[in-house]
Parts: sequence; structure tokens; C-alpha cells
Amino acid sequence: MKVVTGVVGNDIHVVANRLIDLSLRARGYEVYNLGVNTHLEEFFDAVVETGAEVLMISSLNGEAEGWGREVRLLKSRYKTLDDVVLMIGGNLVVGSGDPEEIVARYKNYGFDLVCHQVDLNTGLDMLQELVDQRFPA
Amino acid sequence: MSLLQEEREIILSNEYVDSFDFAEVAEFVSNASKELFISHHFARKNKMLVQPRGGFPTYQQQFALYEYFVDANVDVLPLTIDSNTRLNDYATAKKMLRLSEENDMDMLNGYPLVTHGYRTTRKMITHFDKPVSLRHGTPDARLLIETAIASGIFEIEGGPITYLLPYSKNFPLDKAFLYWKYVERVCANYSQLNEPINRESFGPLTATLVPPSITIVIQLLEMLLSLEEGVKSFSVSFAQQGSMNQDIVTGAVLKKLARHYAGEIDCGDAAINLVYHQWMGAFPTNQDYADQLINLSTVIAAMVGADKIITKTRQEATGIPTKEANAKTVADTQYCLRILNGLPNVVDEEEEEMLTLQVTAIMEAVFNDPADTLWRKVFNCIKNGIIDVPFSPHIINQNEMITIRDAGKNIRIIERGNVPIPDRCYEYDKSRCDLSKDTTSIVNDIIHDIGIMQ
Repeated sequence: MKVVTGVVGNDIHVVANRLIDLSLRARGYEVYNLGVNTHLEEFFDAVVETGAEVLMISSLNGEAEGWGREVRLLKSRYKTLDDVVLMIGGNLVVGSGDPEEIVARYKNYGFDLVCHQVDLNTGLDMLQELVDQRFPA
Repeated sequence: MSLLQEEREIILSNEYVDSFDFAEVAEFVSNASKELFISHHFARKNKMLVQPRGGFPTYQQQFALYEYFVDANVDVLPLTIDSNTRLNDYATAKKMLRLSEENDMDMLNGYPLVTHGYRTTRKMITHFDKPVSLRHGTPDARLLIETAIASGIFEIEGGPITYLLPYSKNFPLDKAFLYWKYVERVCANYSQLNEPINRESFGPLTATLVPPSITIVIQLLEMLLSLEEGVKSFSVSFAQQGSMNQDIVTGAVLKKLARHYAGEIDCGDAAINLVYHQWMGAFPTNQDYADQLINLSTVIAAMVGADKIITKTRQEATGIPTKEANAKTVADTQYCLRILNGLPNVVDEEEEEMLTLQVTAIMEAVFNDPADTLWRKVFNCIKNGIIDVPFSPHIINQNEMITIRDAGKNIRIIERGNVPIPDRCYEYDKSRCDLSKDTTSIVNDIIHDIGIMQ
């Protein structure tokens, strides 16, 4: 299973990105890590280029909110991304907010899986569950 | 006219610079007060110098900050530069400075030195008559350091590796080496006019589980790159790592090897100083705990025998500190140093030997690279992972090395990647850690090890 991952926007917070990389590999995924400061187009291009089944975007500084709104529009310009599992995680708002409301908002942006301030391994377990559903062996 | 002078004239005829008077600046440096030179203080003082961090947008705010620091008995003043200037975006810095001045609200996270210019800034520096250290994070600092020295700032922090690998994703590393070569040469040339300009490397790097061998190698290489251009006063540095013993060992090996390698290139006459950073990782939000951590750092700096300590504040976890909180740390640190007497002499020969072996093996691999100049050798070794900095965001960094803490909170290498750690040292490091766990548990341990002080 191939995963493209990275930190969206002008966000240099690298620590969690490395740990996600390490954990995904440990779980047997083939990881294409675009690192920090990655723009939305670069993520989608990488998914097309690698044929990845999962796109996992992370954000720490809260600017995902601005980028999230553009996901549907941008995704509609690509023809082959309908089956890709879209996941976002990290700290998804600037300041604080109601977690349920945040999850609903991001699902509305087009994400299948939204992990706002969720522990890394819990988030990866959630991903596994969804992947097993969508791509039955 | 020399090539360097030609380049200087191009750099300084920038539209954001108000006519740079080369002759006047040289005259100023020649006659500048010895008090402004940290190299002069290093040579004379037998006490550890205390330096806080801090930079505000406006002249008035920076001036007020310095008044607080002087009241708290500071030894070295900081000038921290805003992020726009660090990225050479002088237009934005100028706009944000005006907004800060007009709206009584800080729109910059530091002092925009190029925008204020040297004629203005020099008035402040000479008024306080204390050494000032330039803190930035700029890959291309050519204009910035010209402005700094012309202002009377005679200590320049940074380097091509330590100001790039922790801060940037894709600024070209080879360019950074060439831009810093310019900085070294300008510092070396001005050093002939009065006391030496001190250069300082930024040892904390990513401040996230960087093993001491990598820290020391990068300190030594930036020192050599500086000395070979003629710099006569250089500070190597590192930050609190989490284990007092490992800090003491690191300090001892760094001092010993710095002198050794400086001698190897016939620069034994240069002064080499050791700087210690109070904990640079994630801080506790509880401000009383933060004060405890800061005091602990000061005790370790004394055990390490540092020549200068760079302080944090109790507000570290919350954002840019107030001048009051910043001055409090200076006063507290001075008090702690005054009452720290009769320190025991701790030497751990086995750990020193292991660390020395690691460092010399990596240094040898760098020197054996076939490139013709030192900076190209270092460039190649970063590119091929002989030097690998954990948690660097830069695309050139290998990211194969994995480190973790042992029971004594020492940072150990459990995956060496392409770094030529000798087998004996590698086995020693791994034998200290519990590696029977699965990767998920090890990742959890790493998360815990990063947040050790919270």
C-alpha cells in the first residue's frame, strides 16, 4: 500500500512528519514523504506520479483550514483520484474549537478521515480500518 | 580592487541601504571601544558571560529591552533579527516596521536591522557600550553582517550548516557555503583593525535528539571553515541535551578536539570559546517549572566549564517573552552562577573515548572526500549522509539516523544510516537501549524522549 504524506502550506514543523514516516513504514506501508512546506498541488501530483492509494496530509500551525477549502476544487481537476483515501491530521485550527464541529467541517472539504489532535497510533489504526474496508484483500 | 571588495560594493548598493560609507565604517571599527568586543571580554574575564535572547521591531522597544538587561547585570546583549530580514525580504520588513511604529503593535518577531540601518543602530550600541551578539538564522547574511559590524555588533552567530539544516527545506546548501565564506572574510578583515570579531556557531541545530557526535562534527567543521578564512576568535556551542553526564562529556570532547583541529590547520593562535545553550527543546508551560529547568541548565553550564551561557525565559512555552521575564532570567542566572562554588570535577573516560572515536571517524570521512576544498567536502558529506542531522527539514539531509534516550537520558544512536559510526561505538550505544520492542513502541519512546522536560 502506497502513502503520500507531508506537511501542508508554509509550515516547517518537521518532528511529527518524521515520526509519521517511521510509523507508516513500521506498519508496512510504502511511504513517499514530501516533508514540510508542501503545497496542495504537490500532494496531488505526487499521488498521480506514485499511484498511491492514500494521501495523508498533516498540519501543525493551523493553516490547513485555508488549504482545506481548496481540496474539492483541486481534486476535481484530476481524473484518477476518486478512490484515493484522503486523510488529514494534526492541529487543524488556529486557537481552539469544538472537535466535532472541526471534523464535520473537514469531511465537508472532502476528507475521508480527519484526526484533530488525535494520538498518532490511534490515527493510524483508524486509517488501517478504512483501508481494509475500501480495498478488501 | 579585490574581488571581495567588488562583491561588497554590489551587496551594499542595495536599494534598502542608505549609502554605505566604507571608509567611515573602517574608521569607526578601528577606534571602537574595547568594551564592545566580546573577544576582549572572553580574554579578560574569568566568569561565565550571561547572554539572553531578544529582539523587538522598533528602536524604542529595543532600547527599553537593553535598559532592563543592563539593570539585571547582563554581560552580553542580544540582537535577534526578524524573520523577513532573515529571508532577505527587506521590503516586507520595512512595511511591517512602519505598521509596528504606527499602530503600537508588534508586526515583526525581531529587530529589522537592515531597515533601521547602521547609523541609527550604532547610536544604541555605543550608548550601552556592552558587547552585542547578532542572532538571526540567515542563509545569505552578507548585507546583514555588513550592517551589524558597521553598527558596532562584533559577534556574529551562525554558519552555512547550522543556520540552514534546522531552518530551511530547500535553500541551496552550496550557495549557503559561499555566502558564509563572504561573512568569514569580512569578519577576518575587520578583525585586523581592532580586537577580533567573534564568530559563533549554532550548536543546538534542531534541538531534537541530535547525538553529541553530530553536534561536535558540525561545530568543528564550521570552526575550520571560519578559521581558514582568517577569523581569530571563534565560539563552538551546544545545547543542554538531557543528561548532565553526557553534557559534561560533550563539553570536554568538543574543547579538546576544537583545539586539536585548529592546530592541524595552523590556526592554533585563534581563541576558541565554548558556549552553552539552556534547554532548547519544548519547555514546560508551568512557569515555576520553567524557572527550575533554567536553573538546572545554569548548573550544568558551570559543570561543563562554558565561557558563555545563553538563556531562556519562564515564558518560553507561551511565545515571545516580555522584557521583564527576559531580564528576570538574566538576574536569576547571574545569582545562580555567583553561589555555584566548589564544583566537583567529573570525568567519564569511557564515554569520552567513545565520543572521541565517533567524532574522529566522521571527521576522517569528511577529510577523505575527494573534493578539492573543505566546503565542498562538507557539502558532499551532507549530501551522501556521512553527516546526518535528526529532524532536519532540509531536502538534502539524509534522515536515516535514528536516536533515542537510554535509562540515564543520554542520547544514543540506534540506527546510524550512512554515518560512519565505528562498529564498537555503535554496539556500545545500542547496548544501552532496550531494542527488543517493536517500532511502534520505539516511536512512542521517541515522542516521550523529545518532550522529556515538559
